[in-house]
Amino acid sequence: MNLVAAISILPIVATITTLITRSAVTNRVLVPIFCSLQFASILCWSLPIFRGGSSTLSPMSDFSVTKLGVCFLLLTTFVVACSLTHAGTFFAAESRQNSSYRADQEQFFYASSTLCLLAMSFIFVCDNLGYLWISIEATTLCSASLVYYSRTKHALEATWKYLIVCSVGIAFALLGTVLIFAASQHGACNGGSLNIQVLLSHAELLQPNLLKLGYIFCLLGFGTKAGIFPLHSWLPDAHSEAPAPASAILSGALLNCALFAIYRIAGLMGLTHHCALSSTLPIYWGALTALAASLFLIHQSGIKRLWAYSSIENVGIMLVAIGLDSPLLFFLQALNHSLAKVGLFLLSGNIIQALGTKDLSQIRGVLTTSPTWGILLAVSAIAVTGSPPFGAFLSEWLILTKCTDSRHWLAALILLVAIALSFVAVCIHASRILLGPARTDSTSFRPLLASIVPAVLCVGVTASGLTTLPSFLQNLL
Amino acid sequence: MIVLTNIELTVLMSAVLAALMVGSVHLRVNLWLYGATTILIAIATGLTAYPNEEPSLLLIALLIAGLKSIAIPLFLAWTMDRIHVHRDLGALVAPPIAMHSSILLLGLSFLLTQGLPTPSGTGAGWYGASAGISLVLTGLLLMLTRRLAISQIIGFLVIENGIYVFALTQTRGMPLIIEMGILLDVLVGVMLAGLLTFKIQETFEHIDIAKLTDLKD
Repeated sequence: MNLVAAISILPIVATITTLITRSAVTNRVLVPIFCSLQFASILCWSLPIFRGGSSTLSPMSDFSVTKLGVCFLLLTTFVVACSLTHAGTFFAAESRQNSSYRADQEQFFYASSTLCLLAMSFIFVCDNLGYLWISIEATTLCSASLVYYSRTKHALEATWKYLIVCSVGIAFALLGTVLIFAASQHGACNGGSLNIQVLLSHAELLQPNLLKLGYIFCLLGFGTKAGIFPLHSWLPDAHSEAPAPASAILSGALLNCALFAIYRIAGLMGLTHHCALSSTLPIYWGALTALAASLFLIHQSGIKRLWAYSSIENVGIMLVAIGLDSPLLFFLQALNHSLAKVGLFLLSGNIIQALGTKDLSQIRGVLTTSPTWGILLAVSAIAVTGSPPFGAFLSEWLILTKCTDSRHWLAALILLVAIALSFVAVCIHASRILLGPARTDSTSFRPLLASIVPAVLCVGVTASGLTTLPSFLQNLL
Repeated sequence: MIVLTNIELTVLMSAVLAALMVGSVHLRVNLWLYGATTILIAIATGLTAYPNEEPSLLLIALLIAGLKSIAIPLFLAWTMDRIHVHRDLGALVAPPIAMHSSILLLGLSFLLTQGLPTPSGTGAGWYGASAGISLVLTGLLLMLTRRLAISQIIGFLVIENGIYVFALTQTRGMPLIIEMGILLDVLVGVMLAGLLTFKIQETFEHIDIAKLTDLKD
């Protein structure tokens, strides 16, 4: 089957369905089903890629998918499916408690999130820098309406910042794309090409100066979207003002998309023997991002802002993995971060709904009011900091050892300090959330339905540390 | 002696017009100037189609003229009328100073782009590239010095024009479908930003972005 059709039919059907159904409850059931079907269908058609040696599968030259692309595609679809499944209980609670709840806002939320899934899926299958840029800009446009869901002043401010900062950032990535296109016209291929496979096979012939400029602009542009320090200013605002399922999608899926684009372009740069740019720059930039984010983690006032900065820290670690040119470590870190972080954002959404505040100083004693949420939150928070026995420990350890193996001592040191700092900061904040005197009005805690998805994610993140998943992925990638 | 091709002349004129834009705080004047720069860019696109023998560029020229230079300014003017905002009162830097610095930026972009390798067969050399870079820098200056949401959108559009001019003069035509995709993304982005401007006016009773500072650490 045609690759483009395979990934786009279900999301498009889901979007149309959400727009024509009038009942909010139908959407809450149908959209998760569509997302799970999408996950299953991707799993079905990608099995031959995993089994056989063939790395591509498409009749069209500008769309093909590698093994890493399939892995990320599955992860993204899984994250969106989990978030939207949880969104059902989230919106049910919203409609009960929140007087400003409106059904049409929820309908719009589902429609834009399925469109966003479509745009994100395209990022992993397009083999053309132009289409890559278009897809990434499309994800910004679709997810802006997710951030704006609650229609409050703060949501409006966060949405405006997100739209403008990311659009301008991505405009620079377009300039980078144009420069790489120009670089390919100086002898590499007649008329130039944006096709990544063509560019990779002619990497030596690309005009070096234009390519370097293009690479730097792309790194800046897609880096803005990934939230690399100091271009991260939009990220904590958008993640904290969006409703919890949207924060989970933004953090667990969208950041990976931007990093995947950086990985594609760094891969091209890596073939041209400009080691300083393709490897050293991302390694040090990533390490500094992780350090800066972990410093920001110490003084945080909002629960979702806390997890947002922790996402920036993880983006830094993933950028180091990209610089080390290791698709395995990049994907492992992305997988572990996404699973744990989606759980954290969803649980934080529950807690915010139950207590009616995002303020960390107001949130105390979750463990006594709701032991289920408390335990799940503790597990996810420990998992996201990278302690054993969870999967993130292994990936962060491997990234550190690979860093020292390639003699980037300073970067390894910075990264180590950052990981330690963020561990301490997250542990202190999490213990304050979990312990202490509980608030009296604990009646609004309805733990059962709202714990299913976070519990599944907790099992997933534990399994990725305790099972042989990493070695399976190693054989695969 | 410097000999400019027609294409280079057109895009340089559009860069100069964009520099004038920084000098006015009247949003309507800004929109007129934006429309004029974009028409010039559409003409340059049409002129490039001839030596390159790429009829697809003519289609893009028509799309740019119709959508970017007419539809977008009309949409933004309609937005301005609906929310009764016509002047960007709170420019962070006095407009004459900003305009002169944008002329300096035009000079700077000449220096920056001289080192670029000359493209073959595009009918424009590094002068075209310098016009593109100058437009990008001017757009950035607009975004940095203006406070109103509408001016931010105009600044973004000028940056996008600059990137387009760079692509037009430094490459032999981006593939048509990608060019259309970019145009679509920009259009949707401007529509969204315009609608958000409405909402900002409704919610805050002003569209001064510099005053949106509730969210911080």
